[in-house]
Amino acid sequence: MAYTAEAFQNEFLPLGGTEVNAIVTVTSTGSATGRRTTGATEVIIVDASGSMQAEGRMAAARQAAKAAVTCLDDGVHFAIIAGVSTAQQLFPAPGQLAVSSPQSRADAIRSIDRLQASGGTAMGAWLKLAAQLFAQRPGDIAHAILLTDGDNGEHAGYLEKVLESIGGKFQCDSRGVGTNWKVAELRKIAGALLGTVDIVARPTDLTAAFEQMITNAMGKTSADVQLKVWTPVNTKIRYVKQVEPSVVDLSGKRVEDGPRAGRYPLGAWGNESRDYHISVEVNPGQAGDEMLAARVSVVEGDDVHAQCLIRAVWTSDSGLSTRINRQVAHYTGQAELADAIQAGLEARKAGDEHTATIKLGRAAQLAHESGNSATTELLATVVDIDDAVTGTVRLRRRVDAADEMALDTRSTKTVRVGRSSS
Amino acid sequence: MTTIECAACDDERAAGATFCEECGRRLITCAHCGGGVGDDGYCESCGMMAERESDHAEDDAGPLGAAVTDRGKRHHRNEDAFFFSARAADVDLVVCDGVSASARADEASLLAARTAGEALSSADPADAIVVAGKAVNALGTDHDSPACTIVAASVRGDTVSWAWVGDSRAYFVPGEGPAEQLTQDDSWARHAVDLGADPEKAMLSPQAHAITAWLGADAPALRPSSGSRDFDAPGTLVLCSDGLWNYLDDPAGFADAVRGSLDGGPLAAARALVDFANERGGADNITVALTPVGGPRGVHR
Repeated sequence: MAYTAEAFQNEFLPLGGTEVNAIVTVTSTGSATGRRTTGATEVIIVDASGSMQAEGRMAAARQAAKAAVTCLDDGVHFAIIAGVSTAQQLFPAPGQLAVSSPQSRADAIRSIDRLQASGGTAMGAWLKLAAQLFAQRPGDIAHAILLTDGDNGEHAGYLEKVLESIGGKFQCDSRGVGTNWKVAELRKIAGALLGTVDIVARPTDLTAAFEQMITNAMGKTSADVQLKVWTPVNTKIRYVKQVEPSVVDLSGKRVEDGPRAGRYPLGAWGNESRDYHISVEVNPGQAGDEMLAARVSVVEGDDVHAQCLIRAVWTSDSGLSTRINRQVAHYTGQAELADAIQAGLEARKAGDEHTATIKLGRAAQLAHESGNSATTELLATVVDIDDAVTGTVRLRRRVDAADEMALDTRSTKTVRVGRSSS
Repeated sequence: MTTIECAACDDERAAGATFCEECGRRLITCAHCGGGVGDDGYCESCGMMAERESDHAEDDAGPLGAAVTDRGKRHHRNEDAFFFSARAADVDLVVCDGVSASARADEASLLAARTAGEALSSADPADAIVVAGKAVNALGTDHDSPACTIVAASVRGDTVSWAWVGDSRAYFVPGEGPAEQLTQDDSWARHAVDLGADPEKAMLSPQAHAITAWLGADAPALRPSSGSRDFDAPGTLVLCSDGLWNYLDDPAGFADAVRGSLDGGPLAAARALVDFANERGGADNITVALTPVGGPRGVHR
């Protein structure tokens, strides 16, 4: 695998300065052969609760699951779980994984026709069964799709407990169909399982969503890539966040690895590039001192694929220390944008229109400044933007629930900054 | 970690340095906390940058001259560089000062000093600078143009030839009286003075040190200024970066400082001048290269 890691930062700090920020861009050209370096296992979880009967969702979900199966590469291990009040394996036989082939895919598609909506929603149980299936194939690229249309019916705290025990075992992309599911619930799953979350408002769009997720998963060539961060003594890591393609705080996922170093899981990788914001607090140095604030490595097991340095240099020259690094400024803005949208929507739900107007106004301003037009468009479905430059907005009286959920789920989506200068 | 018994390393051993018995590399410990230093030059414990080779370098040609470069006290790395070569009575000297606004300025000055210095054996100083300029241009990329100043001189018998781009200087320090500055800075301050500004006021301007010519892909067309002269009376040729002359802008004071340190020989003199700048604050990298000119060699010893 050919990986590169590059740090973008202003290494110059004013005297007394202690906060070091850098954007690390990790790029991989994929494996040399363009093929997976290890096996892959895919589990498709389809909500089959009673509510799925509404609006033709069950029929659309069956169609989407079939499309997903069709996209599986030959040789990939897979299973389909029917999500009801318990987890029921729809294909192949309970406790088994099928090996993808024209024959097994045709068998799977026939079994999907038997999927009927009845019963409740038990996401914890569904994910637990998926984890048991993945456990048969250690070292595989492990990916799941979870489709639901409603609230989790399990007792409070159960889903969280399951997520705690299965976190890091596989990645899971979640999709909510319709508008009766909770964004916060699926976001919790995405956060624990390094996945994405999105709304599929219209059941007819499910097929495209499933195809996209499976195609993306099939493009991964490495299973378990990690960011190893070494920092000197008396240093505190403020946070490690993925900031592109979307904002994901990885700080809580740190696993200690030797003296003063820790690993942060990045999940599976293919031919792609992602950006990370690393913020470190150091002890201040003297004018002219240079410190290595963090050594950042892209690792897979014991292999170090790429490395870059985050430095701190103290200077009395304010011309140097006040330079704004474009990457750091841009992604700091994108993270604030996600926070402003989520806080604004929460305030709006709570009836606090004043806070909602301020937060969503700030969001409109940040989206405009950074050229994040996709987010600006989503914001415009919830607020009337009078002046994006000043962030002057008015809350719309009537907002489509699907639009609001789309804004919420896609609030963490970021755009990349131009690379013309650093 | 083993200490190799080597007479040449006595000085460094005394300073606490040790060497690897396997590869002979100098093993350094962190000056801040005493921790070990990793391959990339940073302390494996406190993260501080250990001293780099280029932070302080010296060259000693005995009575024929010497050169010293030092990081100074305020800059995080040494972006100055020198070249010093003595073959029989022929001496070639170059001093370069990296332009801090460019990344990899240290690479630019190292490359320029070496390229010009090697060219001086067969080319005059102005032509040697043009060769160095081409080499520095080649370091440039789309978004980064490493850059530096340069002053180069060659001594052939009593004849001294010199050329420069930027604000690194060459001086002739006679047996008595003030130093003579052989170069004129390519700087905003000097242009202001040429246009009639008061020299003292011009030097106080915040842009006084802004240079108007340099080596680098983003530089104006390269036209080194040059001069040549025969020196009959003995004296000392001194090339230096602004890290030194900033503290000795008065020609009489410059001459006194040089003459006052020559008793111990050229190397001791170059060290003393670097120490002088460091004692006054060491605000910039400091580089001094000097050689006796005019009259029999070693007359100042």
